[in-house]
Amino acid sequence: MADFVQHLINGLAAGTIYALVALGYTMVYGVLQLINFAHGDVMMVGTFMGYAVAKSLKLDLHPSLWGVLLVFGVSMGGCAVIGFLIERFAYRPLREKPRLTALITAIGISFLLSYGFQLDFGFLPGASPHAFPEIIEPAEWLPLFGGEVVIRNTQVISFLIALLLMVGLQYLVFRTRFGTAMRAVSFDHRVAGLMGIPTDRIIAGTFMLGSALAAGAGILYAIKDTAVQPLMGLYVGLKAFVAAVIGGIGHVPGAVAGALLLGLVEEFVVGYTASTWRDAVAFGFLIIVLLVRPQGLFGRMTPEKV
Amino acid sequence: MSDVLLKADRASIQFGGLRALTDFSLEIRQGDLRGLIGPNGAGKTTAFNVLTGVYRPTSGDVYVGARRVNGKQPHQINRLGLARTFQNIRLFKALTALDNVRVACLSDTAPLFPVRDAAGLGGRVAAACNNYYDWWRAMLLTPGFQREEADIERRASELLEVMGLSHRRDEHARNLPYGEQRRLEIARALGTRPKVLLLDEPAAGMNTREKAELMVLIRQLRDRFGLGILVIEHDMKLVMGICEHITVLDHGETIATGDPQAVRADRKVIEAYLGDSYLETHPASGALA
Amino acid sequence: MANAGPASGSWLKAALPLLVAVPLLAALQPLVSTMPFALYISSIVGVNIILAVSLNIVNGMTGQFSIGHAGFMAVGAYAAGLFSLRVKELAISGLPPMLSDQLLLVAALLVGGAVAAVFGFMVGLPSLRLRGDYLAIVTLGFGEIIRVVVQNTDVLGRALGLSGVPQRSTFFMVWLWVFAVVLVARRVANSSHGRSLWAIREDEIAAEAMGVNTTAYKVRAFVISAFFAGVAGGLFAHFVPILNPGSFTWVKSMEVVVMIVAGGLGSTTGAVLAAVVLTLLPEALRTLFNQFGVGGSSVDQVRMPVYGLLLVVLMLGRPQGLFGTTEVWDVLPRWMARMKKRLA
Repeated sequence: MADFVQHLINGLAAGTIYALVALGYTMVYGVLQLINFAHGDVMMVGTFMGYAVAKSLKLDLHPSLWGVLLVFGVSMGGCAVIGFLIERFAYRPLREKPRLTALITAIGISFLLSYGFQLDFGFLPGASPHAFPEIIEPAEWLPLFGGEVVIRNTQVISFLIALLLMVGLQYLVFRTRFGTAMRAVSFDHRVAGLMGIPTDRIIAGTFMLGSALAAGAGILYAIKDTAVQPLMGLYVGLKAFVAAVIGGIGHVPGAVAGALLLGLVEEFVVGYTASTWRDAVAFGFLIIVLLVRPQGLFGRMTPEKV
Repeated sequence: MSDVLLKADRASIQFGGLRALTDFSLEIRQGDLRGLIGPNGAGKTTAFNVLTGVYRPTSGDVYVGARRVNGKQPHQINRLGLARTFQNIRLFKALTALDNVRVACLSDTAPLFPVRDAAGLGGRVAAACNNYYDWWRAMLLTPGFQREEADIERRASELLEVMGLSHRRDEHARNLPYGEQRRLEIARALGTRPKVLLLDEPAAGMNTREKAELMVLIRQLRDRFGLGILVIEHDMKLVMGICEHITVLDHGETIATGDPQAVRADRKVIEAYLGDSYLETHPASGALA
Repeated sequence: MANAGPASGSWLKAALPLLVAVPLLAALQPLVSTMPFALYISSIVGVNIILAVSLNIVNGMTGQFSIGHAGFMAVGAYAAGLFSLRVKELAISGLPPMLSDQLLLVAALLVGGAVAAVFGFMVGLPSLRLRGDYLAIVTLGFGEIIRVVVQNTDVLGRALGLSGVPQRSTFFMVWLWVFAVVLVARRVANSSHGRSLWAIREDEIAAEAMGVNTTAYKVRAFVISAFFAGVAGGLFAHFVPILNPGSFTWVKSMEVVVMIVAGGLGSTTGAVLAAVVLTLLPEALRTLFNQFGVGGSSVDQVRMPVYGLLLVVLMLGRPQGLFGTTEVWDVLPRWMARMKKRLA
């Protein structure tokens, strides 16, 4: 029973991180019908930004609320800028071209970032993992089952931060003008443009938002796993995308549901078999979903207009 | 009294809450030249899509020949003898005119396993084996395969000639002028050896001379190939000029059917096109076009 | 693309390329086998050409987006490798050992290709029915699943690798298969099947309306492409001493994608050239890098971000790649005719 609860907690923790990244994927797919392969790598860049801030200001020596806010703020803000730049210079010129072109570009950027950061050159971190400074002083908050299962403060704080970000996003998407415009663009970007919505700005904003959330996810991941290395974006990103597809690509709450589900399934499969199967779980799950219900849990099959 | 080649029996389709087509019924026999008209958004192209299998009707039936084709794939319905053109030209732009038609000219190959029933599992496996065998013959470039390819080229060239496009054989389809692109789409559709031809706004964007030529051409095609033809068109002169029978749609519903004279004078039709205020201000006038 | 198709029927026309290629390769074989480095490089180049040309059938001619080609290569490699391991001690009686070995190698390659083709069918059939983007994710996932399965399976050597596969691959065998895949690609492209694939690439709905069973054709292309990837893997297994899953990662899949994108999606000629250049160039630069040493990064490390940059620059500047969809055998006759006119 203790094992089960431990797996449950771990699964939810991983799931919330996947959720924050999946939201970026699903929002961008919603407005552009593009799988932004580079999304996970933007997360990685954000994590390293946070790493740089924490390391240079030696925030692990004096863990504080301000330190945490600074790390999150810098990495999320920095990623928003990166997301904007990528969209502006790599995707926007290709908007009227066939989708394949933009897809290939996305993969190119993904490679550029993930393997570029692996180079041992100048400010680039290099291939070996770095230890992320502990910006939150770890403490055991809630021992269960006589100490066999421990809920740490980092886990609770992570969960709350993730929840806060998701609630914030929900508010943004459903209660602000920007959010309504975003949803309009995701239905039909040409018509939205004709209705006076500045589509370019909305799309740029969507990218910035998604990238910021991904950066937040990256910092949470770093807090959880401590080790950060340039290829982390690829795997987390891919799994988050799988989660978005499972929930129904383009469907915002679906992405969260899919991500939590994936986190749990992954954790339980690994827990009861062996950790070497971890990476295969996400894709296996995906293939099963695509076979049984290709539109995902919450998605709708849209017939193409002839 | 020839057999019915294409029949829609109270076919309807609904997209969520939107009833795009309601109780659509139609019959096409060999030699028929019928028209389908209606204001924009009336559901004409939707009707084509239902007939050709792009959409599955939510109720009602579609028959090609004697076979009920609800839910069949478009390529299966095409093989049963129904071909179409598209409202927004959908040629294979990077392919030459000849290749466009050749894609449609399916070869008559002696299959490895005779397929009795293409729907069942056995039939599908046999069809797949036939297809792999045919790929194998293509890779080996067997003399039999070479003959079939030559045959396809001959048939495609003939169709280009019929449509007056022989001089464009080696041109990429995207380089053709608009009117020729429309003719090429018809040539391509004919390549599938249909019994019924559905033309979706074949005259759109053409000038008066081209339209007149098209009218003659459509009749010639009907006579030469023994087809039944259904035309969607906005140009009233063309529709009244060549169609022997017209169905009028509005908001997915059939509001009138009959010969051109009757339809032209029908109050509901005039209302649909010109609005009921027109009739109030012009009570005496009756005719459309 | 120019109009394509054969003019008349005869067995000679069908067999001619083979009659030319086999003696040529047999003649080159003893020469190359004396230079081990040349043999190794030519084998790697050959394998990459087979991968590029086969993927081009799916991504180029049919316009799909499969990015898990290394997965099929892996399946073929391990299947062929295991087969050869099992029959290592056997020999076909009555034949000289060299010939017997080569025939067993061919058997192994066919096994590898067939197993890969079966996987191609299993992966392709469900995913090709869905929207285009999904194929990318599924093929990517497939590659990853294969890697994880290998790493967890004892009989496949886990992460340490499968050793002991008889190193029977020769220059002749590798390049015979290179020749085969190029010939197949060309003949398919010029046939009604190829035209149907191009039609699917151009406009799937119109193709469907013209009687082309688009799903079936996509699956066929996928299966044949997987077959050749499996053969490439099988060849690879017979000239590398240890077979480990690290050779078949997503990075390898992307290398092949970069090759066909740079060469021109749909052009077999482009795929061949890009495969040759992108295999030889890093090797040539390797010595250069060792001399200058770019901050501790090796050629293999720098290669990856450069590929990424190459993709972005290509898509923004020249998305049709080097050759677009043109082929040397289409362009050459016209060019030669023009030359003749000028010289006359």
